[in-house]
Amino acid sequence: MIDVFTFLFTICMLSIVVNLGISLYGVLYKPSLIKKIISLTIFSDSANITAIIIGYVRWRNPGEIAPPVLLNPNPTLEDIEEFAKVAVDPLPQALVLTAIVIGLAVTLFLVFLTLQIYRFYGTTDVRRIAKLKG
Amino acid sequence: MRRLLGLLVIVLFITLFALVIASGGLGYEVPPLRVRELARQFLIYAYNPFNTTFTAKSPEAVTSIVWDFRGLDTLFETLVFYLAIIGALSLYRGVESERRTEVISLGLSPIVKTVTKVTTGIIIAVAASIALHGHLTPGGGFQGGATAAVAPLLILIVFSKYFLENLGLRKNVLLALRSIGLLGIGMTAFSALIVGLMANSPAYVFQNQPKPDAPVGLPAYIGDSLISGTLWFFNFFEMFAVAAGFTVIFLLLGIPEGEILKQLKEEAEEH
Repeated sequence: MIDVFTFLFTICMLSIVVNLGISLYGVLYKPSLIKKIISLTIFSDSANITAIIIGYVRWRNPGEIAPPVLLNPNPTLEDIEEFAKVAVDPLPQALVLTAIVIGLAVTLFLVFLTLQIYRFYGTTDVRRIAKLKG
Repeated sequence: MRRLLGLLVIVLFITLFALVIASGGLGYEVPPLRVRELARQFLIYAYNPFNTTFTAKSPEAVTSIVWDFRGLDTLFETLVFYLAIIGALSLYRGVESERRTEVISLGLSPIVKTVTKVTTGIIIAVAASIALHGHLTPGGGFQGGATAAVAPLLILIVFSKYFLENLGLRKNVLLALRSIGLLGIGMTAFSALIVGLMANSPAYVFQNQPKPDAPVGLPAYIGDSLISGTLWFFNFFEMFAVAAGFTVIFLLLGIPEGEILKQLKEEAEEH
């Protein structure tokens, strides 16, 4: 009848997509630069979760899935084959890992820019900054 | 009217994205029923003593992808990180913070200070273990560095910015530390090539283990300890670069607002 796993994963994917839409709304329609930055971090985190869930493996029984870390220090060929069968996809995890750190650095840069704009103009409202001359 | 149009565009975005998933644009099953063939190859060759052509000699598949299989990607991502930090620093050029030697009276209560003294050591130890065991267990230079940067941030909030500077973690010291980290990453990337030039044998940039057409490479073991060739050194130097980069940013954010406004005003009057 109803597949519980498919149902739960569909809810998960749907919430991620709605999250992406809401954060895009924040980036485009919130006048405050700080709120735009917050929306941008939510957007990048949602994108990261999408990447992780694509690299995940749908499992039915415990033990069918494992982290991509080989625990046996002296593996035989069979051990390695077995490990490749149960482990999840490591590639999205590697990409997301660097994306998080770069995202943090870029967010800090944007925060600095916003701080400097606030110091010079006394506001972070883009509607008022757009009207300023100089 | 414009708001309504924007709302329509965003609802359309959500619908189209859902359509892409439903029509199998991200794979017919999300998440998939089994890993892709490419991921299977990565998993098989991450630590494989029977295949010396492709192996990275690291049981942690994520680290072997980050610093060996797709090492050049990570190098340029480090470059983006470096540029973002440099961009933030350039906005603060010329801003000099005053030095204070009397720092005991500043900061939060003695209870918080005592707890911070204990936890700072623990944080540094955890960060070091995450970074230096990055080729064996989940973790690596990025995560270790980001964890290590929490310790100075905690000191900055609980004690004061001046206390951190009196400890020796000044802006220029941190910049030097970060440069050493970046230089180390560069040197490690070229290490196999340098060894190859000295041994008069072909070698590549970003080479880790010996290959059939390039028989030089860094040792996977030192004594009985697995260091996975270049991976340990990459993680080690990346930890310094990331931790020092974040700490210098936190230091700049900790400069009192009044001082910066005063200096900006003086600068404006000079022009």
